[in-house]
Amino acid sequence: MSDPPLMKVNNLTTRFFTEDGTVYAVNGVSYDLYQGQTLGIVGESGCGKSVHALSIMRLIPSPPGEIVDGEVHFAGRNLLALSESEMRQVRGGDIAMIFQDPMTSLNPVFTIGDQIAEALLQHTDLSKKAAMDRVAELLDLVGIPDAKQRLGAYPHEFSGGMRQRAMIAMGLSCDPQVLIADEPTTALDVTIQAQIIDLVRGLREKIGMSIIWITHDLGVVAGLAERVNVMYAGFIVEKADVNDLYGDPRHPYTLGLLKSLPRVDKGRVAGTRLTPIGGIPPDLVGLPQGCPFEPRCPYAISRCRFENPALKEIDPNHEIACWVDVREAVPQEVTA
Amino acid sequence: MLTYITRRLLQLPIILFGVTLLIFAMLMLLTPYERLGLYVPDRPERGDIEGIIDHYGLNDPIPVQYARWLLGDDYLGTKEVPEQEMRSRGVLRGDLGFSFRGHQPVASALMQYLPATLELTLWSAFPVLGIGIQLGVWSAVNHDKLQDHVLRVFSIIGWSFPTYVFGLLVLMIFYAKWDIFPAGRISEVFKRIIEDPLLYTQYTGMYSVDSLLNGRLDVFIDAIRHLVLPVITLSYLWWAQILRVTRSSMLEALRQDYVTTARAKGLPERVVINKHVKRNALIPVATIGGLVIIGLMSGVVITETVFNIRGLGYFFADSALNLDVISVLGFTLFYAVLVVVGNLAADILYAFLDPRVRYT
Repeated sequence: MSDPPLMKVNNLTTRFFTEDGTVYAVNGVSYDLYQGQTLGIVGESGCGKSVHALSIMRLIPSPPGEIVDGEVHFAGRNLLALSESEMRQVRGGDIAMIFQDPMTSLNPVFTIGDQIAEALLQHTDLSKKAAMDRVAELLDLVGIPDAKQRLGAYPHEFSGGMRQRAMIAMGLSCDPQVLIADEPTTALDVTIQAQIIDLVRGLREKIGMSIIWITHDLGVVAGLAERVNVMYAGFIVEKADVNDLYGDPRHPYTLGLLKSLPRVDKGRVAGTRLTPIGGIPPDLVGLPQGCPFEPRCPYAISRCRFENPALKEIDPNHEIACWVDVREAVPQEVTA
Repeated sequence: MLTYITRRLLQLPIILFGVTLLIFAMLMLLTPYERLGLYVPDRPERGDIEGIIDHYGLNDPIPVQYARWLLGDDYLGTKEVPEQEMRSRGVLRGDLGFSFRGHQPVASALMQYLPATLELTLWSAFPVLGIGIQLGVWSAVNHDKLQDHVLRVFSIIGWSFPTYVFGLLVLMIFYAKWDIFPAGRISEVFKRIIEDPLLYTQYTGMYSVDSLLNGRLDVFIDAIRHLVLPVITLSYLWWAQILRVTRSSMLEALRQDYVTTARAKGLPERVVINKHVKRNALIPVATIGGLVIIGLMSGVVITETVFNIRGLGYFFADSALNLDVISVLGFTLFYAVLVVVGNLAADILYAFLDPRVRYT
């Protein structure tokens, strides 16, 4: 990883100014994404994963949303400083994004072929006919049988898995350097999930693009990503290579997530149960004074209540935002 | 698509059958004596009444009377009836009875009064559908900005202002006080030209259309001047309606995930709005669009009465006030058919706009 990063996100901060107060959705997120790397971003619902991705694409609905600080360096430019028309070249061209729910992400009144070709016609000089040929190739690539006959099909004629395949084809259409996948398997059946993940893994090798894979499913990330960022309440709380994260989790939140995950490899000991993380994620209206995880943290010390820890490197390529060393501390019962 | 339309067309006779049953039921609510009164305005000799009721079959079993009313006395030619015995040719052949207020058969009265109403309706409908929808889109795209607020106020006023008050108000201001726009359908001078068969041919009965066909620009301008106030009065409610529906439907569509997908593809905002959002937002508007035409056609009852325009609405109001039940029922049947056909047209348009409908 001595090459310079392909994309460098620095102190990305996004807020929503709503009637109920300011929502601190993304708070100073920084990370590097390298060529060909798959980066997993993991966290519970509402922890700012999706908002952070939409912020990179500058697709935050504004008002009420606003990117208040930070830079996204990509190919020598700061995406957040580009004009709207320059940004349109990036969207769908250099950086593509696919979404959580393929049922609602495709426009119901246009054909699949038309919707994929749209991206091609926007970013290339292909003729309408050449674009349609390319769409057929793409649909074939993502494993849709009889691709040519399916060009004229409407989204409602496709199953959920096929729609997500079509979304991926749309994402890949202009050979992007980065694909941002926002929980692309969450809305699908488990068997279909596995197919889609296999598909992406195969495509990654074939095309060599970088992927930011956003999910709440640690199992999915383990099988796909090389590096993982764990997000909580709009902060990144742990960054590590995938093996370090699973083998040696160092943030209490990551530890909690892993404990609440059923594992086949460890075997099930009779009488043991999964340990969920107590409490609920914090309301992001208003920034907490201390560590946002403190109310739910079994390792919390008094300092956690007043000071929010910054990310610090504890091992090479392994950073956490925590005051405590979980290897030494003793977990307490959380009463919250 | 074709099966959908065919199936929808096959439903049409069933619905229309239901409509005729309802209207006939209304007629049957009257006693035979009352119905006799409708046909025989002058009070007959006491001894004659039973005989006449018997003669006209007003006491026959209701299904028999319904069949005669619908199919005519000869049951659409299946029964031999001498010409002088034919009292009704049947609703299916367009015989809606005799209108004593119109001094002619109801059907021909309807045809006589239709052009004025059609003219008023068409001049109202096109701006509502053409400009009203665009304004609704504009309002939604500029959500919560000044344009949006202005249009919403405009819409709420139109929505809550009773037509008869609004009509009188514009008449008072623009006719009585400032005398910019006249009432009626045409000025006295031009009326003479129109009614002179040597100078002028009445092709459609719609003055604004006929005047152009005759090459009479002066008549055209006069006809338009007479149309301004009634068109505004008639269509204001529907401007408000279509604006409101388009706006909320656009806002709804703007929130959908596929809009984010479209933006993530790098499409310009103009394409996102005009293609992806508008196409979806117009689906519910199409349903309202069908209702707009029907609503305008019904709205003429008040507007034509206020502005003294001799159209269907005027005829209906006049018949109702004079207890001309046969005319009222004929008018009702005519409008019921219009509503059914209008809804059918909206449904077919709906299928064109929404591929999901075509296959269900």
